[in-house]
Amino acid sequence: MTFQDLILKLSAFWASHGCLVQQPLDLEVGAGTSHPETLFRVLGPQPWSVAYVQPSRRPDDGRFGQNPNRLFKHHQFQVILKPSPDEVQTRYLESLESCGINPRQHDIRFEEDNWESPTLGAWGIGWQVMLDGLEITQFTYFQQVGGIDLSPISCEITYGLERIAMFLQKVDNVYDLEWGGGVKYGEVRLEEEIEQSKYAFGQVRMPPAEFAALHRDLFETHYGFTGTLLDSGLIWPALEQCLKCSHLFNILDSSGSIGVSERTAYILRVRQLAVRIARARTETRPAAAESA
Amino acid sequence: MDRELLVEIGCEEMPASWLPGLTAQLAERLGAVLAGVRLETGAPIETFSTPRRLTARVASLAERQEDHEEFVLGPPVSAAFKPDGQPTPAASGFARKHGLDVGALERTRTPKGEYLACRLQHRGRATVDVLGDVMTALLRQLSFPKQMRWDAYLDDGRGALPFGRPIRWLVLMYGGRVVPFVIRRSEGAQGPRVQDVRSGSSTYGHRFLTTSGRAGRVIRFKTFDEYRTKLIENFVILEREERDDRIRRQLEGHARRLGGRVGHQVGGESSLLREVPDLVEYPSVVAGHFAAEFLKLPEEVLTTTMVHHQHFFPVVDDAGRLKPAFLAVVNMEVEKPEVIARNAERVLAARLRDAQFFWEADRRVPLASRVEELSTILFHKGLGDYRAKAERVAALSRWIAAEALGQPGMAAAAEEAGRLVKADLATGMVRELTELQGTMGGVYAREEGLPEAVWRAVYHHYLPVGVEADAPPTCQQLGAGAVTWAAVSLADKIDSVVGMLSAGERPTGSRDPLGIRRQAQGIVRLLADLDTLTGLDARPPLASMVAEARRLLQLSSLDADPGARRVLEGFLIERVRFLMSSRGLEYEEVQAATSDEGWCLSVNVADLVARAEAVREVKTRPEFQGLAEVFRRAKNIVEREAGGPLQPAWRANVERLAEPAEHLLRATLDRVGRDAETAMVAGQPLRALTAFATLRPAVERFFADVRVVVDDAALKTARLSLLAELRDRVLQVADISILAPKAE
Repeated sequence: MTFQDLILKLSAFWASHGCLVQQPLDLEVGAGTSHPETLFRVLGPQPWSVAYVQPSRRPDDGRFGQNPNRLFKHHQFQVILKPSPDEVQTRYLESLESCGINPRQHDIRFEEDNWESPTLGAWGIGWQVMLDGLEITQFTYFQQVGGIDLSPISCEITYGLERIAMFLQKVDNVYDLEWGGGVKYGEVRLEEEIEQSKYAFGQVRMPPAEFAALHRDLFETHYGFTGTLLDSGLIWPALEQCLKCSHLFNILDSSGSIGVSERTAYILRVRQLAVRIARARTETRPAAAESA
Repeated sequence: MDRELLVEIGCEEMPASWLPGLTAQLAERLGAVLAGVRLETGAPIETFSTPRRLTARVASLAERQEDHEEFVLGPPVSAAFKPDGQPTPAASGFARKHGLDVGALERTRTPKGEYLACRLQHRGRATVDVLGDVMTALLRQLSFPKQMRWDAYLDDGRGALPFGRPIRWLVLMYGGRVVPFVIRRSEGAQGPRVQDVRSGSSTYGHRFLTTSGRAGRVIRFKTFDEYRTKLIENFVILEREERDDRIRRQLEGHARRLGGRVGHQVGGESSLLREVPDLVEYPSVVAGHFAAEFLKLPEEVLTTTMVHHQHFFPVVDDAGRLKPAFLAVVNMEVEKPEVIARNAERVLAARLRDAQFFWEADRRVPLASRVEELSTILFHKGLGDYRAKAERVAALSRWIAAEALGQPGMAAAAEEAGRLVKADLATGMVRELTELQGTMGGVYAREEGLPEAVWRAVYHHYLPVGVEADAPPTCQQLGAGAVTWAAVSLADKIDSVVGMLSAGERPTGSRDPLGIRRQAQGIVRLLADLDTLTGLDARPPLASMVAEARRLLQLSSLDADPGARRVLEGFLIERVRFLMSSRGLEYEEVQAATSDEGWCLSVNVADLVARAEAVREVKTRPEFQGLAEVFRRAKNIVEREAGGPLQPAWRANVERLAEPAEHLLRATLDRVGRDAETAMVAGQPLRALTAFATLRPAVERFFADVRVVVDDAALKTARLSLLAELRDRVLQVADISILAPKAE
């Protein structure tokens, strides 16, 4: 099964179980959770089921294309089910079968792994799903987002697409994966990985101090503008600006541009924005539903 | 007729580490709830668990509640009747409420006077009618290390029912019949795909395996025996012991076939071995291999990667050396072991390749130069970064080695090790395998050829963790690093505990995210066993080490900060008491030796333990029981008449003592006091207590012949002074008044 077949299979599976198939957020984010299709939809009472791929950037994991398992950017397949159906684990296991994983020939286990995002003021209870010792999915019952208790509870299923594809194709190097039609993952992504890693670790023709200053300025610009957008009641654009801040912080961190006490301060500032955005979204939502 | 009660709470996978505790809790809570509703059990409560179920069975439970008489107190008699003898509204109201005439009420005497009262007869209800309330109480009372909301509530008026994981089915059966019970789902969630959980008489087996029919289908049963048998047919082994046996047998069999034995165990036990039976419903073992080239990695790295990250068991040869193989416990009856083995091997190889990369990259830079990088890692927001901590630990280690342990020759090595203990936090390996912090620094220091006294101190500095006398490290593991290890381990922990407490951090309940309690326990454990671990006979009190730590942290002295002293003393004494009771000392022995919380700073911990042990030794001797009693009497009189320690001063107005009984006590105190002092200096509290036991006849005669509280103030002081000296001298060993018989 090629990388793109895997995406198609999962999309078809979840579409057949009542999910809208959405598209990735067209911004740089660290995980599918940041997408408003998760972050906003899990708030409030409205039922929502959605599935989408999210390219996810983790600057710190950039390895210049040299590590067979680690990537600056990997792909998550994200499913949100709200409310979480009683049969959710069975459905999930069926989704694996639909991708050609026969659970009777493998060892599939749900092992405790709770999830917490300090920058989003969010946490949940759940598992990492292990397939013959390989972590392939993060399975979480969201409890809080933006510091707000959720009701009803949503279930988030996050598949690690590269890992599952490597498992299915029995390759040991991610760049050897077949993306589709005989084209390798390396052909599609290696160049980007090398360049993005260089950028993430500050290997730019620019003195480190300037590199740091530029990113701090960018952070401040987006940070300030998020506030303006929030004050204007524009919550979706505000989230986008907030996510920019989050990514810029990750770059500042991976490039070693910030000290330790500063690091905590940055996390706290992003968190405050996220909490404000989540609050604003919860407060305006009932009115929006009424006028609809 | 008594019948069988069967409860099964079917859950999504519960964390393995919770199951042993939950199984015990289930038995305990169910027992208490049944007793609370007066349902008599004719058999012990048996409880079981797998990741997907908590099961309780009572083979024989009464069919009805026991009948019960309730005694209800009404108004006081004084307010119950008017002057003409007619009942007041209070009295008639009380009688009416319970359906009785005032004349039928009885009178009862209470400490507050005479009251009207009545006896109500309650006929026991049928068990099936009570079990709903039992189930409610049980679900409410089970507690979890972390609980979640899952859109569920109960009809008991208390709203949401948070639980460890979502409940997917529920068995509640009495005498083979279902007792109706419902867990409701909240309005916002309920719908075709989210339904109430209703009690039934069916369960589910293994998710993927069955001997007949479709895996995961509903299984019906009537009795516990049938339940257990059908679960086995559906690949669920209900008894943890059976799963454990099966795992051990298969592990040993595979290890033998690989020409070795199961590694990473101490005396046939390991934390992994304790965990795996709770991760699976039907365990099997699969063997795999890794490339021999990875054996060049340090054993610590290989073991941590296998055990902590993959839950694999290492395999070792007869000499204890790792073989390039591992054993994985899986939750399957394996059809094709080679398929699972190949996949597991690929995951492990990927991790080992990463480790190999860090192993090579990290060693390009000497460990000492990493200390600089520690300025980018925060220790605590109130206490600065790890760079600053490294300097403090270095200075404190030097001081402890030279001054507290009396080993100036080791001071330089202790200082070097102290500076290096946190350096590995800046290495790639520790960032990846955090469990190896400390250990990895020791390995890198060893690779660089640093002296044993340095690398071993770094390697083991997180230890000790357990309080048991045989918890690691052993004297043998410490080798030439024993003294430096003691200095560095103490310095690191004292700096953390003193610093964190001063920064306002406190562990609460079972939560200790910063490890303050654990580290304080390490300090206490190390000091309690200092001689066996290091061969040193030093008995340093904590006070001077804490003072030095506070100086390095730029905190004021404890004398200038009584609040901080109280917090620290209260915190440390708890750890001392915990260590004592874990080592089998009983409550009163512990209390006698630790009655003064300040001692945990001023007296060496080993000495405190020795005192408690001495109390245990003497407390059953008859002469000692008499002593405890007269001691308590002396202590009470002095405290009532004079007050705190050394009040009045010893030998105050000694010239006024004239009675023979006074002279006898004075002379006996002189002799016994000397003996006890010598014994305490030699660290022999047992000898001191034995000496005190000879005081008894003199004290008894004193109490018989002499009145202490007399009008002549000077004489009274002289007599009180004798008793005060007795009290003070004995208290320096232990407060034995707690051993005196309770009745005054």
